Amino acid sequence: MSTSRSEAIPALYFDGRSARPHAAQLWLEGDVLRLEAADLSRSDPVMSLRVSEPMGRAPRLVSFPDGAHAEIRAHEQFARLLQQSGHVDRATVRFAFDARWVLASVGLLLLLVWAGGRWGLPWAAERVAPLVPRLAVEAMSTQALALIDERLLEPSTLDADVTARLAETLAARTDVPHRLYFRSGGPVGANAFALPDGALIVTDELVALAPDDEAVIAVLMHELGHVELRHGLRMMLQGSAVALIMTGYFGDVSNLLATAPTYIIQSGYSRDMEREADDYARRKLLAQGRSPAVLADMLERLASAHRDGGDGPSGWLSSHPDVAERVAALRERSAPR
Amino acid sequence: MDNPFLAVAPPEPDPFIAGTPRREPLTFTGRGREYFGIWIVNLVLSVVTLGIYSAWAKVRRLQYFHRNTSLAGSAFDYHGDPRAILKGRIIGLVLLLAYNLSFDVSLWLGIVTLLLLAIVMPRLLMRSLRFRARNTSWRGLRFGFDGGLREAYSVFLLWPVLSVFTAYLLAPIWHQRLKTYQFRHARFGATRFAIQLRESSFYKIYGVALLVGMAAFLLALVATVGVVAAAGTLGEGRATPLMLGLAVVGLMWLLLALLVWPYVSARLQNLVWNNLTLGPHRFQSAVRVRTLYLITFTNLLATVFTLGLFMPFATIRLLRYRIESVTLLAGGPLDDFLAAPGQDVAATGEETADLFDVDIAL
Repeated sequence: MSTSRSEAIPALYFDGRSARPHAAQLWLEGDVLRLEAADLSRSDPVMSLRVSEPMGRAPRLVSFPDGAHAEIRAHEQFARLLQQSGHVDRATVRFAFDARWVLASVGLLLLLVWAGGRWGLPWAAERVAPLVPRLAVEAMSTQALALIDERLLEPSTLDADVTARLAETLAARTDVPHRLYFRSGGPVGANAFALPDGALIVTDELVALAPDDEAVIAVLMHELGHVELRHGLRMMLQGSAVALIMTGYFGDVSNLLATAPTYIIQSGYSRDMEREADDYARRKLLAQGRSPAVLADMLERLASAHRDGGDGPSGWLSSHPDVAERVAALRERSAPR
Repeated sequence: MDNPFLAVAPPEPDPFIAGTPRREPLTFTGRGREYFGIWIVNLVLSVVTLGIYSAWAKVRRLQYFHRNTSLAGSAFDYHGDPRAILKGRIIGLVLLLAYNLSFDVSLWLGIVTLLLLAIVMPRLLMRSLRFRARNTSWRGLRFGFDGGLREAYSVFLLWPVLSVFTAYLLAPIWHQRLKTYQFRHARFGATRFAIQLRESSFYKIYGVALLVGMAAFLLALVATVGVVAAAGTLGEGRATPLMLGLAVVGLMWLLLALLVWPYVSARLQNLVWNNLTLGPHRFQSAVRVRTLYLITFTNLLATVFTLGLFMPFATIRLLRYRIESVTLLAGGPLDDFLAAPGQDVAATGEETADLFDVDIAL
């Protein structure tokens, strides 16, 4: 025959109808693959065949259109034959067995995970947060409040007069829908939280720490900033996304989603979010003819109360690492421009 | 002729002496270094495509495992269509989200979702058993699964509910029914598998597991309380009950994974394979509990200290041990298997993933 003939390669041939192996030889003749065994032979155009990816020591499989296949373990010879036929492995395959590509992939992965966590997730959460139905936000917040009441906080011992006065003052000074709850802080001490549906929780300790009502209102303005800017919801979405990814990565630990509400308490807001909430409170206070310095004072009092109390930073201050910086920023811009 | 296969797999004209089966051990040639490459490329592409590539990744992973597993000189193969797997994953994700969120929204929506799940899940799980079997092959013949819908409802709905309402006292029977369902309706080509599993064997395994689990729980409790007491912070209100509880639960999961899982999976694998037959052939599985403990423990340590990068190596180590513990006791020539009528590869075809082809990981 005039066309070029490649070297013959040993293979095991199966016809797809029985498990009987046929010890065979196969070789290329131009664009045709020839296969010969003791009691059979066939020739097929190379175009009609499929070749499996190389996978280490696993055999390469050549599949014929009628369901038969050949198993080849003579890897070096087969690679030469493939080269001759012009077959090129897919890029994903070449990458997986090339040390440089593997190392580059590790690097790329770390970079992606880091960039995704730093920018991707917050960006996506900010876009998605407004789309979460009001009903779901309320249900999650109710659940979170129940959880906080069950595990963390005790009923308030404040005078009804005091709480009513504070609630009335706050209602008069904002049009953001909210509900105000008072609780005894227990382990979290002087503290305040905001839930995504506008529930604000203030501890008795914080009220006691404040020199006057205005200081409490200033703190609540900051918390309302978290509500208005959907910080809690965004953090929760991010937390759920991380949980979902971890679940996919590490296997099926279901019910991780059910823990989502606890993210509101367990993980604080980001520094940027705190700064945004401070800024929100500052603008509102200025617009109401009040001084943002009150919030700055309260921040300092809270910081020192938690330091002296010895129970470490928790809750309100857990992600407030740069109190001094925030206090300075609030004081610096405490006069209307 | 210089055919290397002649040394590995003689074309079996061998005289079969009745009563002395030939031993054909499963061999596994996967290597951690190779699998690491596949794993990392899969991971990167899955991340970049926001998880969509993960279906294709699963196919490559399973192909690597199957093709590196050989019996009597021939490798297994996997033919799953990534699109069917992707569909299965989307369905799974939607069901998971629906289940987790519906009760938060309202009780009635939760109950409706639960009912819907109860109706749909057994069918999906049966379908994915079929998908998994049909897409596995050896020597060009496909495996198959012919389990029916009625039994699927019994195994995936009735028995789970029964075991929940009996405080899991019936859970071992549920597991026995599940394994029986899974293997009794399985076939290789046209040859059916058969399995005989006794409920008492499952009670024995779970009895020991329960004892080990209780020991793990006590250990976790004592360790946590000990650490907290040693740090002297319990009295000062720093360690809240919530934190303590979380620590105990976390440690318990770890101990369960380390102490209970190796025991149960070793015993279960041996139990199932040692009671399985395929035509005239039997199987033997000899997984040793303490070897599995050793592998699990060292794998966990290495995975933690390499921040997860050891994971593909760990997978290969565990897989190699579990696969190579299985031997086929051939009671006749292995060449005699035939494809199921109308089920040859060309007819079912890999490209004909029909609408109901799904794969939900069990």
